[in-house]
Amino acid sequence: MINTVDTLPAFPWLSLMVFLPLSGALLCLLHTRSERDCRWLGLTVAVATFGIAIWLFLSQQPNASGWFCVEDIEWIGRFSIRYNLAMDGIALVMVLLTTFLQIVSMLLAWPVRRHVGLFFALLLILESGLLGIFLAQDLILFYLFWEVALIPMFFLIGIWGHNRRHEAALKFFLYTLAGSLFMLLAIIGLYVIHGDQTGHYSFLISDLARTELTLRQEYLLFGGFLAAFAIKSPLVPFHTWLPDALSEAPAVGSLDLTGLLIKTGVYGLIRIAFPLFPNATSECLPIFGTFALVALFHAGWCAYHQDDIKRLLAYSSISHLGLVVLGLAAWTFTAWQGSLLLMVSHGITTGALLAMVAMIRQRIATRNLQKLSGLWAQAPCLSALFLLFALASLGLPGLANFSGEILVLIGTFQTRPIWAIMGIAGVVFAAAYMLRLIQRVLWGEPTQAEVADLSPREWLILIPLAILTVWLGIYPATFLKPLETPVLLALGGLP
Amino acid sequence: MSSTTGSLPTTAPILFEDYLALGIYVGIALFLVAILLLLSWGLGHRTRSRIKNEPYESGVYPTDNARLKGPVPFYLVAIFFILFDIEVIFVASWAVAYDRLGWAGFGQVSFFTLVLLVGLLHLWKTGALDWGPSAARQNRKNQDIP
Amino acid sequence: MDNNLVQIALQNVNMWAIMPSLILICFGMGLLLINVFLPRGTTKHAVWISLIGLVVTGLFVFKGWGDPQYGFNDAVALDNFAAFFNITFLVAAGLTILMSDEYLRREGYPVSEYYPLVLFTTAGAMWMASGTDMMTIFLGLEVMSVGLYVLAGFFRNQVRSNEAGLKYFLLGAFSTGFLLYGIALIYGVTGSTRLTEIGIYLNAHTSLLGNPMTLAGLVLIAIGFLFKIAVVPFHMWTPDVYEGAPTPITAFMSAGPKAAAFASFLRIMEYCFFSLKPEWTAMLWVLAVLTMVVGNVIAITQTNIKRMLAYSSIAHAGYALVGMVAANEIGYSGILFYMLAYAFMNIGAFAVLVLAGKKGEDNLTLEGFSGFGYKRPFLGVAMTIFLFSLMGLPPTAGFAGKFYIFAGAVKAGYLWLAVIGVLNSAVSLYYYLRVMVYMYFRDPLEDYAWVSMPVSVVVSIVIAIAGSLYLGIVPGFVMELAKLAVF
Repeated sequence: MINTVDTLPAFPWLSLMVFLPLSGALLCLLHTRSERDCRWLGLTVAVATFGIAIWLFLSQQPNASGWFCVEDIEWIGRFSIRYNLAMDGIALVMVLLTTFLQIVSMLLAWPVRRHVGLFFALLLILESGLLGIFLAQDLILFYLFWEVALIPMFFLIGIWGHNRRHEAALKFFLYTLAGSLFMLLAIIGLYVIHGDQTGHYSFLISDLARTELTLRQEYLLFGGFLAAFAIKSPLVPFHTWLPDALSEAPAVGSLDLTGLLIKTGVYGLIRIAFPLFPNATSECLPIFGTFALVALFHAGWCAYHQDDIKRLLAYSSISHLGLVVLGLAAWTFTAWQGSLLLMVSHGITTGALLAMVAMIRQRIATRNLQKLSGLWAQAPCLSALFLLFALASLGLPGLANFSGEILVLIGTFQTRPIWAIMGIAGVVFAAAYMLRLIQRVLWGEPTQAEVADLSPREWLILIPLAILTVWLGIYPATFLKPLETPVLLALGGLP
Repeated sequence: MSSTTGSLPTTAPILFEDYLALGIYVGIALFLVAILLLLSWGLGHRTRSRIKNEPYESGVYPTDNARLKGPVPFYLVAIFFILFDIEVIFVASWAVAYDRLGWAGFGQVSFFTLVLLVGLLHLWKTGALDWGPSAARQNRKNQDIP
Repeated sequence: MDNNLVQIALQNVNMWAIMPSLILICFGMGLLLINVFLPRGTTKHAVWISLIGLVVTGLFVFKGWGDPQYGFNDAVALDNFAAFFNITFLVAAGLTILMSDEYLRREGYPVSEYYPLVLFTTAGAMWMASGTDMMTIFLGLEVMSVGLYVLAGFFRNQVRSNEAGLKYFLLGAFSTGFLLYGIALIYGVTGSTRLTEIGIYLNAHTSLLGNPMTLAGLVLIAIGFLFKIAVVPFHMWTPDVYEGAPTPITAFMSAGPKAAAFASFLRIMEYCFFSLKPEWTAMLWVLAVLTMVVGNVIAITQTNIKRMLAYSSIAHAGYALVGMVAANEIGYSGILFYMLAYAFMNIGAFAVLVLAGKKGEDNLTLEGFSGFGYKRPFLGVAMTIFLFSLMGLPPTAGFAGKFYIFAGAVKAGYLWLAVIGVLNSAVSLYYYLRVMVYMYFRDPLEDYAWVSMPVSVVVSIVIAIAGSLYLGIVPGFVMELAKLAVF
C-alpha cells in the first residue's frame, strides 16, 4: 500500500490549478489583438497547470482515506453550499490526463487562424471546468463546473466547426444540458431529503451518502443523475449526439470532447451516482452491463460502416466507453481498475488518432475513407505513428488500451463470465474496424502526388502521446497505484 | 342553523331569506322596465317611411360634417379644471378640522398644496395655459420636438 | 368629529415609513420644475438629478433595513420585505435611466419629462411593496400604472408606441377594475381593508372561508395582480406592449413593476388569505405551469429579439410563481432574490438592444444580430452573460435564482412542478441559444458602423454584468438578506 500522511498541504494547490487556466482565459480575451501572444499564453498556462499536477503527483502522499489535497471553505451559507475541492487517486489520474491533453490541444490549435484569442480562451475555460468537475466534492460546485465545461465546447463546435456546425452545436448543448438539468433537480431533491432527515443541510457528497432513502426515492434520484451522466458518457441509447458533435467539431474540439468531456460522465457515475445510491446501483448493475454490451456491439457495428474517419472514431469511443461501463458493472476491484485505466488510455489513443486525422485533413483535405489511400508511401513517419495509435486503439498487447481491456475482462470474468466472453467478442469488432481504417488510409495506391511528412510541431504533439501509449501498455502500474485505495473504498460501499 | 348568540351575523351561513328582498327588488325593477317598454311598443303610433329615418323629421336637411372641430385649449382647460377642482375636496376636509389637526396637519396640507403648485407651474411654463394661435405657434417655434 | 380619532390619526403618521418614496417624489417634482425653466431638449441634468434622487432614496431604504417603520395606522410598513423590493426597483430604475438618454436622443424624443415619470413610477412601485392596506396598495398601483401608461406610449408619433400605450392603459384599467371589485368584496366580508385584520378575521371565522363572496374576492384580487405580472391567461397585452414601448421602458416594465406586483401579491396572499392557502396554491400551480409553458413555447417562434424577450419574461414570471406555489420561506425569499437577479440580467439584455438597435429598431431581429459578437466584442460578451443568466446556467444570477425557487418547490413537496419548471428551462435554452448562434456562428453583417458606445449605457451594462455575476458567484450575502426580508 501507499504510505499515508496525517496532514495535507495548506496551500490551495487545487484552487490554483483550477483557476490558473481561467485567469489565462481572461487575459486571452482582453488581449485578442496579438494572436501570437494568445497562443503562447495558452501553451504556457497549460504547461504550468500540468506542472502543478505532476508536482502534486510526485510530492504528495495521500492520507488514510486516500485524499491527497483537500480545500474546504463556506461558499453560500444560506444553503450550506461549500467550496470543497479534494483530490484522491481517481481524481489525480483524471487531472493528469486532462492537463496533459490540454497541452496537446494547445499545440494542435496552433494553426487556427480565425478569432485566435477567443479560441485559446475557450480552451482554457474548458480546462478549468474539467479540472473542477474532477475535484469538486460539493454537488452544487460540481454542477457549476459541469456547466462551465459545457459552454466552451458549444462555441468551439459552433464557431470553428465544419459545415453542419450550427445544428451539431445546438444538438450537443441541448442534449447534454437537458440531462444536467435533471441532475440539478435530483441534487436539490437529495439535499432536501437529507436535510429533513438529519436537520443538517449539506451538499457534500460524503454527507449525502449517509442519507437513508427508500428504494423508490433512490430510483428517482438515481434516474436524475443518470440522465446527466448517461447522456454525457454517452451510454447507448443516449449516444446519438456524439457522432454529430464529434464529426462537426474542429480537431481540437473533438480531441477534448472524446479525450476528456465524455469521461466526465463515467467519472460522475463512479464518484457520485454509485456511492450516493448503493441499493439502486446494485439492482441496476445487470442493466448497465446489458446496455454496455449493446453499446459495444452496436457502436462497433456502426463504426465498421462509417466512411468519415471522425464518425468512425466517435463510434469507436462509444464502443470503448461500453467496455468501461461493463467493467464498472462487473463491480470487482480488477475490473474497476481496468475501467479507469481504459478511460485514460482511450483518451490518449483516440485523442492521438483525432489529432492525426486533423493533420491528414490539412494535407489531403478529406476525412473520407473512400478517398484516402496509400499514405504510407508518401509520409512514412506520419503513417507509422498512425499505425501505432490505431493498433493501440484496437487493443494490441503491449500498447495502451490492451492493459485496460484485459483488466476489465479478467475482472468481469470473476463475477460475470458470460459478459466477459461477449466482451471479448466485442473487442474483436474493434480489431475489424480499426484494421479497415488502417488498410484504407495507409495501404493502396497514393491519391495525391505529394504529401508532406510531419512538421516539428506535429512531432512535438505526437511523441509524448506515443511514449505514453507504450508506457501505459508496458508499465501501467504507475497509474494503477494511486487508483488502489479509492477503488477499494468505492467498492466497499456496496452492501 | 343560524347562530343563537347573534353576536356576529356574518358567521351565519347564507340563507335564502337574506337575499329574498334583493331578489324581489330586482324582479320588480325588471318587471317595471318590461311593462313600460311593452306599453309604449303596444300603444305607440308607428310609421315606417324614409323621412322617419332622417335625423330631423321636420324636413330640415343636415349640412356639414358631424364632427365638429373644437380648439384643443377647451379640452385642456376642462381637464385642468377637473384636476384642480377635485383637489379642493382634500383641502376642504382639512379646513373643517384645522384647529384640531394643528401644525402637523397644516404641514401636510401645505405639502399637498405645494404639489399642486408645482403642477400648475409646470403647466404654465410648458405653455398649456396659453390661449390663442399666436402663442401656440410661438411656443412650437421654440420647441424642437418633431 | 371625534377629537380622539383625530389625535390617533396624527400620532400614527410616522413619516419615516414613507420617507424613501417621499424623497423620490420630491426629486421628481423638483426635476419637473427645473425642466420647465430650461430650454427644451436639454436632458443631461435630468439624468444626473434622477440618479442622485435614486441614490439618496437608496440610502434611506438601507437605513430602514432591520429597523421596520410602520405608519399611517399600519397602512404602510417599511420593513425588510419592502426594503428589499425597494432596492430592486431602484436598481431597475437606475439602469433604465442610465440607458434612456442616448436612446431617446436617437429616436428623436429628447424630452426631460421622461425622467420624473420614471421616478414617480418607481415611487408607486415602492408604495405597492410597503402597502399593508388594500387602499395603499391600490394607490401605489395606480401611481405606478399611470406613469407607465404614459411612458409606454411616449413616442407619440409612432403608431407602435401609441398602440402599446393604449393597450396597456385599457387592459390595465380593466385589471384595476377587477382588483377594486375584489377589494370591495373582501371588505364586504370582513369589514376591513387592513391586510392583517382581514387575515385574522378570516382565520377566526372559518365558516367564511367557503363563502362565495370571499372566494370571488380572492380570485378577483388575484386576477388584478396576475394581469400586472402577465401570467397566462392574462398575458395577452405583454408582447405588444413590450415591443411597442421604448426599449428602456420595456426593460423597466419587465423588472420593476412586475416585481412590485409580486410584492403586493405576496403580501396580500400571505397576510390576508393564509387560511385559504391550499386553495390559492392549487390555483397558482396551474397558472404557473401554463405561464411557463406558453411563454417558452411561443418565445421559440419569435424572430424579433425584443418580442422574444417579452415572451421570455412571461416565462420568467412563471418561474417566480413557482416560488409562490411553494408558499414556504425558501419559496418567498426565492421570489425576492429572483426578482433582483432578473432586474440585472433582463435590463442588461435590453441595454444591449438599446445599443444594437438603429433608429426605429427594425434591425433587432435574429438576422440583424449575425456576427454581432465579433464586430462588437464587449456587447457580444455582455449579451452572452445575460443570455446565460436568463437560461439559468451557473455561475450567473439566473442560476442562483432558479435554484433558490426550485429548492423551495422541492422542499414544499412540489416535485412535479419543479420537474415541469426544469423541462421549461430546457425549452428556453433553445431560443436563447439561437441568439448566440446568430451572434457568434454567423458571418458579420456589413453595417455595424452605427453602433456607438455612449458611456452612460456602457455603465449600465457594466453594472448589470457585475450584478448578474455577483449574484451568481457569491450570492450568499444577498440570499441572507432575502431570507431576513420575508415574514
